[in-house]
Amino acid sequence: MSQSLSEECTPLKKEYDSCFNSWFEGYLEPAIVAGSTPEKRAEHSKRKADEFDAKCGKIWRQYKACVTQAVKDKGLDKLLEQARQENPLVDPIPPPPGSNSNK
Amino acid sequence: MHFFSQSFQYEHPWSHVIIGMWHKYPNSKCTHVVSVDTLDRSIDPVTGIIRTERVLGCKQKAPTWIVKLFGGSEDAFVREISFVDPATQNVTITSVNLSLSQFATCYEQIRYSPVSPNRTAFTQTAEVQARLALWRSAADRLEQWLVQRFEQNAQLGKSGFSDVLRNLWEERHQASP
Repeated sequence: MSQSLSEECTPLKKEYDSCFNSWFEGYLEPAIVAGSTPEKRAEHSKRKADEFDAKCGKIWRQYKACVTQAVKDKGLDKLLEQARQENPLVDPIPPPPGSNSNK
Repeated sequence: MHFFSQSFQYEHPWSHVIIGMWHKYPNSKCTHVVSVDTLDRSIDPVTGIIRTERVLGCKQKAPTWIVKLFGGSEDAFVREISFVDPATQNVTITSVNLSLSQFATCYEQIRYSPVSPNRTAFTQTAEVQARLALWRSAADRLEQWLVQRFEQNAQLGKSGFSDVLRNLWEERHQASP
């Protein structure tokens, strides 16, 4: 597993990544199946989002606090802010025109 | 602007590629990626789409002329935003450089989509663009500064040489009455 940009955050990062990965592996395939109808999808998404918060929320908040400070210390906060302003990327990117993934 | 693109198919189911995506680094062929940090992550409770914002730290030697011209160091950071949409089986990853971004941007887009139960298409495009507006204004300011400095030096040169001439001929004049 890769390191954090700050040595101090690496243990928290590794614990968070492990938590996310194990949650994600249980999330993805059932989510593909649940994607067949909007109702099933919403039910599954909500349940799994809550589960993620219950399982990984605590370590996430610890890791996030650490990495947020590390980003500041490296002087990356301003560059990040600028990048977010230029390109917020808050909405998913639609598939390219003419692609046949219209599920 | 310069472009790069490639596409490829991995012989793995889409879900395996997407699970594997979070394990991509470290790997022995990409030793330049030294750190990966998640800054933000959200799971949409209606669509199930996961949005993740990460910062990747890279260490790669740059040619000396680039380091001399732009400063910078071996450490470079990239912002990456990914969307995982299980319902449409679509993943997009957008990356842009944070380091040296005042000079140029490298905007990369990756997409993973299923081709068949055991094959996943990967497409990658990148646009590299120097910030020309900035170059122009920097070049402008450089010219202005050079002109000012030249003017100052020209003034000093003129008055300095006047002094030299005056002193020289006054001395000669006094020496030979």
